[in-house]
Amino acid sequence: MSAPITLPPIHRESLPSGLSVVIAQRPGVPLAAVRLVLRGGSSLDPPRRSGLAHLVALAARRGTRRRTGPEIDLAVESLGAEIGAGVDEDATYFGLSAPLEELPRCTDILADLATRPTFPPAEVKRLQRREIAALAHDLDEPSVVADRAMLAAAFGDHPYGHPPEGRVRDLSDARRADVVAFHGHHYRPSEAILVVVGKVEVSEVLSLVRRRFGAWRGPDGAATPVRAPAPPETQVVVVDKPDVTQSQVRIASPGFPRKSPDYVPGIVASALLGGGFTSRLMEAIRVNRGLSYGVRSRFATSASGGVFFVSTFTKVETTAEIVQVALDETARFAEEGPTGDELERTKSYLCGLFPLSLETHDQLAEKLADLALFDLPDDDVRLFRDRVRAVGPDECRLAARRYFPLERRVVVAVGPAKAIARSLERFGPVTVIPARKMV
Amino acid sequence: MATHRAHTRVLDLDKVRAHTLPNGLRVRLLPDRSAPTASYYTFFQVGSRNERLGTTGISHLFEHMMFNGAAKYGPKEFDRVLESRGGHSNAYTSNDVTAYYEDFAPDALETVIDLEADRMRSLRLTAESLEQEREVVKEERRLRTENSIFGLMEEQLEALVFLAHPYRWPVIGWMDDIERITRDDCEAFFRTYYAPNNAAIYVVGDLDPDATLALIEGHYADISAGPRPAPVAQGEPPQRGERRAVVRYPAQAPALLAGWRGPAARSPDSAALDVLQVCLAVGESSRLRRRLVQDEEVAVSVSIGWGWRIDPGVFLAFLELAPKVKSARAEAMLWEEIDEVATKGVATAEVRRAQALLRSSVLHELATHHGVAHALGQAEALLGDWREAARALEHYAAVGPRDVKRVAAEYLDPARRCVVALDPEVKR
Repeated sequence: MSAPITLPPIHRESLPSGLSVVIAQRPGVPLAAVRLVLRGGSSLDPPRRSGLAHLVALAARRGTRRRTGPEIDLAVESLGAEIGAGVDEDATYFGLSAPLEELPRCTDILADLATRPTFPPAEVKRLQRREIAALAHDLDEPSVVADRAMLAAAFGDHPYGHPPEGRVRDLSDARRADVVAFHGHHYRPSEAILVVVGKVEVSEVLSLVRRRFGAWRGPDGAATPVRAPAPPETQVVVVDKPDVTQSQVRIASPGFPRKSPDYVPGIVASALLGGGFTSRLMEAIRVNRGLSYGVRSRFATSASGGVFFVSTFTKVETTAEIVQVALDETARFAEEGPTGDELERTKSYLCGLFPLSLETHDQLAEKLADLALFDLPDDDVRLFRDRVRAVGPDECRLAARRYFPLERRVVVAVGPAKAIARSLERFGPVTVIPARKMV
Repeated sequence: MATHRAHTRVLDLDKVRAHTLPNGLRVRLLPDRSAPTASYYTFFQVGSRNERLGTTGISHLFEHMMFNGAAKYGPKEFDRVLESRGGHSNAYTSNDVTAYYEDFAPDALETVIDLEADRMRSLRLTAESLEQEREVVKEERRLRTENSIFGLMEEQLEALVFLAHPYRWPVIGWMDDIERITRDDCEAFFRTYYAPNNAAIYVVGDLDPDATLALIEGHYADISAGPRPAPVAQGEPPQRGERRAVVRYPAQAPALLAGWRGPAARSPDSAALDVLQVCLAVGESSRLRRRLVQDEEVAVSVSIGWGWRIDPGVFLAFLELAPKVKSARAEAMLWEEIDEVATKGVATAEVRRAQALLRSSVLHELATHHGVAHALGQAEALLGDWREAARALEHYAAVGPRDVKRVAAEYLDPARRCVVALDPEVKR
């Protein structure tokens, strides 16, 4: 096997405000990757305000005391840089990719917009309108609709159950005061991590970060962790889209949080079932039956919970067949476990690909931000391959039994209800929802 | 943080070992030990432009067949062997090329060479695997074209822009043709287009060039050269007026797709059109995003697609409109903005902004072994020389505001545009 995984020299420091700074020095293309990550994402959206955290992240770049939104856009892009903003269920992310020589100027802008946004009323209103309009286009993407329906069915009223981009009514009801209050309460240095990766001098980056982020203050106190989600009742959700010729399918069951000791065995079990081109699902569904172009399974993990899911699609006529094949394969796996060959191949596959996930500055910045966000040690990266290699057949089967969709499960199909709903009744009680309800 | 001026040289090609085997197979090797990985690309000079009506989509369907077994590594073996050595593989087909890659830990290099040489030498095409892949490809077509608004519109647009050239049909092919392709068609296709004289291999990463070349010679040298592929018929007639189509589909919101025939990739205008693309639609401060998305709020997204192709390709603009906006209103604004650039040009600062963004995007592409291997292959396939991969930034740096104005006026002529409007049908 190839050389051991080594991380470049990493400098970690906390500013007096509590901001965690992580700097990784390494050669490569003359670009710098920066991530500013704040604990707290869409799970902090208040009731009937889904999409608020998302709106706040987008609105932050629409104006500060020193620059208008268009001035921020022009300044960043004229330097050949990009600043992205967004949220997931656990965190808010600002990503910056800049030419190395422009890092100071870009960091200045990033600090300005994340810590001192003014949320101009007209810009907030405009963003609200645009996000609502964008949801109409989401509704025309069957795979996006399927993902939204799966989250809602798997997590119900739990804060992980609503889409991070929000729903039309909630976005319409949000007021600027909600945006300002969310920012004032949740954007605090004590809950933030700043990661910088590139061929940088640590001392220069540190003095830059102290200058730009040093004055940032926020309310005291730590964020409240999100409660663990309850497992869903077994059910089938059909999202009715009468005109599609192909159904999007999701099969989900409760998973585990990112820090769970089941993480590595779970990854191995999932890769074996629905990872690469030789996974069991790929073989059963694509290779042997030609039912779909693609099928995969994965554990999506969060701070307080997670979900395991299989995602695929097939022509309308074979919707129930594909669900049945996926469930049969899943049950067989949980019953019999992996063969020795399969397990070795899957572990080699995961280990071989791992260095590719750390190749670019952006990838490394993301990995380091995740380590900090989930309080994981560097060993999580350094020892990942050893831990994968240590997974045995029993552990793998146990992970499958515990988390695969055997008893408690949600089946989602987006397609013409008239043609598919009845055929899915054998998988649980069926609810039909018109597609427009998904936004 | 270096403060030196942004340089234009991004790839050190002095280290490339370039060699052609007696059977015509081109080999280009670039050692780079910055990461313990390697990437292996095989480019075949064949894509949908080499097809004919009746078997459209064969290049893409054939790409699937390449994973279904050869003489040494039988059915299901290719990925199994590769994954068990810690690598992974995939492929894509475009209008112009079919490209296969493996990313892997360097100690799997010989296995990768053995796998690739085996299928180039002795692919087995069985009736059974053809039937299975046909069904898979039909699902792929349903996914990307029939149930995708952009897919539906793009298929119409290409058929408007090209009356005669094979770029007229989609890479995945017409559904009827996918049904019709036979095993014999595939056999003939393989003999012609998958011969070593129609292929090139690019290996980048943690490798020893001499040893790698010796391995490649050992595995590929005995594969016979094939016939020279037939040239692609040109003869696209000039366009003498706007062409339009309407797609009726029960969507939630309207959308608009416009396209113009551009130059071939080799044209010096290609780089100027890249700069124009960034001025118009890349970034929030681009002209179209600022006017249509921010100021007037008629669109939720605007994007331009200017993909370099061997023969004159398409410059296209795609607008996702806000739900109640009249398509005609957004369209009028789009034409106004394009006319503004074509008649008044763009400011020097806009060109500089575009050059800075293009430089970052090239650097991103070249940040991985995979990206470098692909860039070399793409440059040779489209421009005839892998060295062009290192020259992109020089070409961008040479573009000035006058070039941007000139290419906008020349190519985005209203009399030579094609328009596809999505008409969201009344909901039932």
